[in-house]
Amino acid sequence: MRTERPKTFNKTLNQSLFIIGVMICWELLARTRWFPPLLFPQLTSVFSSLFSEIAKGEILGRLYFSLYLIAVGLGLAIITAACAAALALSSNLISDWVQTVMAILHPLPGISVLPIIILWLGTGPQSIMAVIWFSSVWPLITNLHTGLRSVPATQIEVGKNYGLKGVGLVWKVSIPGAFPHILTGLRIAWARAWQASVAAEMVFGASGGEGGLGWFIYKKRFFMEIPSVFGGLIVIIIVGLIVERLCFEWIEVRTVRRWGMTSE
Amino acid sequence: MRKKCLLILSMLLIFTVFQVPAYSAPKEKIKIAGQFGLVYAPLMVARSQGLFEKYGLEPVWKEYGSGGAVREALISGEADVGFMGIPPFLIGWDKGCPWKVALGFVVVPVGLVTYDPDLKSLKDFKPEDKIAVPSPGSIQHILLAMAAEQELGSPNALDNNIVAMPHPDACAALISKKGIKAHFTTPPYLFEELSEPGFHLIVDDISVFGHPFSFNVGLASQDFHDQRPVAYSVFVSAISEAMAWINSNKEEAAEFLAPEFKLSAEKTLRYLEWEGMNYTTAPYGLMGFAQFMKEAGYISRVPASLEEIAFENVLSFVGSRAGGLSEIEMLQGR
Repeated sequence: MRTERPKTFNKTLNQSLFIIGVMICWELLARTRWFPPLLFPQLTSVFSSLFSEIAKGEILGRLYFSLYLIAVGLGLAIITAACAAALALSSNLISDWVQTVMAILHPLPGISVLPIIILWLGTGPQSIMAVIWFSSVWPLITNLHTGLRSVPATQIEVGKNYGLKGVGLVWKVSIPGAFPHILTGLRIAWARAWQASVAAEMVFGASGGEGGLGWFIYKKRFFMEIPSVFGGLIVIIIVGLIVERLCFEWIEVRTVRRWGMTSE
Repeated sequence: MRKKCLLILSMLLIFTVFQVPAYSAPKEKIKIAGQFGLVYAPLMVARSQGLFEKYGLEPVWKEYGSGGAVREALISGEADVGFMGIPPFLIGWDKGCPWKVALGFVVVPVGLVTYDPDLKSLKDFKPEDKIAVPSPGSIQHILLAMAAEQELGSPNALDNNIVAMPHPDACAALISKKGIKAHFTTPPYLFEELSEPGFHLIVDDISVFGHPFSFNVGLASQDFHDQRPVAYSVFVSAISEAMAWINSNKEEAAEFLAPEFKLSAEKTLRYLEWEGMNYTTAPYGLMGFAQFMKEAGYISRVPASLEEIAFENVLSFVGSRAGGLSEIEMLQGR
């Protein structure tokens, strides 16, 4: 435990240095004016427009709306995945079915089903939630399913020897055993959910009143406020970093790393 | 066996590498960025009749889904000249794109269509009634903002109702009465929708703007204009010729254009002769849009004079009457 803190600190330092390096390169490249400044703005103008967008309040409202869409879509996907995995665990027949459905639908990009979703659900937030759900549910099921299947039989037997059965056995042995997979599934699902929400709003179906960051970026593109487009991207990056560092790593440190399941 | 295969393969490779292209005189290229719809019929005519080729130029035709995309193509050098509505042009000009209007490009009816009999004016729109426009900042969006200012007091009153949808998708959605309540659109989609029973116009171009306006303008960058004056002149001449041909050969034009729009020749002819259609290179309403967009906050400045946004052939066309504005000068305002 003693090495934990400096290690995290080092990682943060490394990451920060890298990001600062990239930013300096960007600024230098922009200042050479090799590319039209309209298309490749300086970071200074990107950040000043980001701050003015934050001051105006629009970008945070859009971010809140995106997070709300993702929370609903991803939440539903987690519930669906848990039910599917539980059913698959209960019978081999259903397990085969789940695997077949996964094999068919997993390779489909979420955005490719958008036209059908719009036909069925119309345009609006419900369609975007559906795309988010579709994009994130397959990686969740895949990881949950393989995770639960890959728990060694000996561990299950040991659990049984302790007198555990049914839900108790799943909760105390199978889920902790499958946790590295579950965590991976959640990470992929989160990333996919973001991609889907932004992509769906840009391609179709977003409207002024009910749009998240995708709509923000899309709108700024058409008003040629390219620094604000980058501002929107930076917000997405920052949210991604915060969730990764604060949420997933927090869980990781307290579960799989404490249990000695990863080598890091 | 394997050696033979390898031999054949390498021979093939050598042949493909050393294949000399048939000799042809290198022609100067001009990359032209257009969009989809009846408005762009002159481009199709210029293409099929070889109107650029006759001046010894080789046109490269490119099509984009929105004025915003054409603008990006022009800035990045993917296109030399392009067509877009006056508002996307002014947004680019405001942000410092070094370009000007080379010609006006077609006056067409534009309007807001709905199927809902209860929607008679913009006041009847509820927050959940969606209005489709091709993109934010498009001419349709700006016209909607103008109408909203007139009827509802604020240009942004309907900003939360708008949905960005390409014309063909929005047209299909409106006709199937799914998702959207109204569509701000242009021919042929406008005519298709108005031909449906019960569909009606809520807002039309003339009542919003006050008089007809150029739906598109042809644009060239200052560099293109200065460094390739011959190509610039050819651009203006070839497009003018295509427009004049459509005006004097409507029936022939309809027959040629019908398959391009997957319409029958009769229908295309009816659309070409719809009231308000005018294939003209005359610029209308250049300054009117600028003034409104400045007041509504879409751009930060207004051109002090036409010279800032138009090349000499447009300036000479509009003229500058001593002792008060001429009719055509007045048509540039609102």
